[in-house]
Amino acid sequence: MSAQTAGKFVSRRIRWDVIGSYLVMIFFALLYIGPILMLVNTSLKTMPSFMKDATSLATELHFENFREAWVKANFPQYLLNSIIYTVSATTIYILTAVFVAFPIARGYVKYSGVILTLFVIALFLPPALIPQFQLILNLGLYNNPIGYIMLFLVNPIGIVILVNYIKTIPKELDEAAAIDGCGYARFVWSIVLPLIRPAIATVIVLHAIGIWNELIAPTIYLTSKQYYPITRGLIVFQGVYGSNWPTLAAAVLLLTLPMLVLFLFLQRYIVSGLTAGSVKG
Amino acid sequence: MSYHFGRGWSKLTPYLLLLPGLFFYFLISLGPSIATGFFSFTDATGIKGAPIRWIGLDNYREFLFMGRASLDNLDALKRTLIFSFVVTTVQFTLGLIVALIVNQKLKFTNIFRTIYFMPVILGVVIQGLMWSLFLYPLGGPVAKFLALFGMRSEFLGGQPTEAFAWVIFVQIWANLGITMMIFIAGLQTIPSELYEAARIDGANTWQVFKNVTWPLLTPSVNTNLLLNAIGSLQAWQLFLVLVGYRNGTQVLGYLIYATGFGQTSGSVTTSFRQGYAAAASIVLFLLVLVIGLTLQTFLQRREKRILG
Repeated sequence: MSAQTAGKFVSRRIRWDVIGSYLVMIFFALLYIGPILMLVNTSLKTMPSFMKDATSLATELHFENFREAWVKANFPQYLLNSIIYTVSATTIYILTAVFVAFPIARGYVKYSGVILTLFVIALFLPPALIPQFQLILNLGLYNNPIGYIMLFLVNPIGIVILVNYIKTIPKELDEAAAIDGCGYARFVWSIVLPLIRPAIATVIVLHAIGIWNELIAPTIYLTSKQYYPITRGLIVFQGVYGSNWPTLAAAVLLLTLPMLVLFLFLQRYIVSGLTAGSVKG
Repeated sequence: MSYHFGRGWSKLTPYLLLLPGLFFYFLISLGPSIATGFFSFTDATGIKGAPIRWIGLDNYREFLFMGRASLDNLDALKRTLIFSFVVTTVQFTLGLIVALIVNQKLKFTNIFRTIYFMPVILGVVIQGLMWSLFLYPLGGPVAKFLALFGMRSEFLGGQPTEAFAWVIFVQIWANLGITMMIFIAGLQTIPSELYEAARIDGANTWQVFKNVTWPLLTPSVNTNLLLNAIGSLQAWQLFLVLVGYRNGTQVLGYLIYATGFGQTSGSVTTSFRQGYAAAASIVLFLLVLVIGLTLQTFLQRREKRILG
């Protein structure tokens, strides 16, 4: 690898560059792990102990905070809502996206270049906040889970990623399948879909994370507590328990840990989604 | 391109199946984006059934030229530019340095990469709450660290400029990993033969970077600069979580949200003025457009010069 050769070149004499590299890496790592450690430590403390010394080690292991956070933050309900929103919107989105991306990539519809450009343009357009709100309001879908889910049926970057990936699949496949009597819908569904699985996974992961972490839409569109997703729930909880950091830290941690575990499994999909197209320019 | 799956009416199948996705896109995204322009000339409120009147350029006039409020707006605009400039340059520079370091053939670099990238999945709420705690002014970790040097800070609750600076810090912290990953992807496309050739020619580390790495990294440089500049002009969610709608810290994105959907915090109360907010959206859009296009033109010229 490139870096190896560059490394060897310098390292013959002193390994200061290696030592320096590790120092920088460790410094940055502390900035990232520090806040999580603080969260863990605080979540195990009692309120008086936190008031006395915020950073002292939690010797009392006050696990009660987690139970309290779970119940008082109304976690089960909010989590369930978040899961429903994320799963349903992502499923509908990906189903429609494949049937948008495939004919565009293949040129099976007229003006496919123009359609693709329309999707790319969206990345630069003004925030659609106000008209979107007027739309949902006038459709009678304000403070309504269906209206909320509708907001997440669009993701232009996902279309671009899918189109680029589909283009790598040889066109001869279409011909061969068609000669064998395979219909269009079945071809896309049972032959293309399995072939573009890596791209699908990337788009699903990116889209789902976006919905799961969304904060603005629920503050605008959902007023009833029973519809809150976990992000809004956590902000409301902070408003009430803002000064009670041990309980709040436990609540944040309850949400952070599963995400971190998930992250270890999904990392490569997120990376490939975020770096898609960046190399070619 | 020729279509193989049937003739006649069945040729329409792709169009039919494309329709739902395209429909949602127009309804939810493209349509509303364009309609923002229309709403910016009206006095729309967020109340259902209330009549919407055409008021021409009044919103823009009020936003830019009328009284104290417009001065606050211009301050927010200036702050947006500062925020974007600092975030873009610092995140770009640090991202490049970190990418170069973790891209070396050293042990554990994978673990470090993962650690820096981690906030991406956590989202603004967790990112923000984590840092609210880490920046706890009464004896939190950072407060104690500063105390070692005889310094103290109110952090997010302190002077507006101070709170603003900390939001910039957290914004960079949260997104550094993305910039780093894009640079790493670029670094890995540079053929190792080039490094070997440079080494044989007797180039030192700096010369290798300047003459091999930097020019060949151009695509990633372009992507990162554009993404960071446009993204940071529109970013404001961390302000909501970290400081709320506070005078002296607002950026345009937050202002749009607050005027459009009502925000109360301390002495500042805003109502649902959606026409006005739409006008502010257009101002932000023009800012993004001008900066984005200028940057794009500059980057393309540079790319032509370097890569031919």
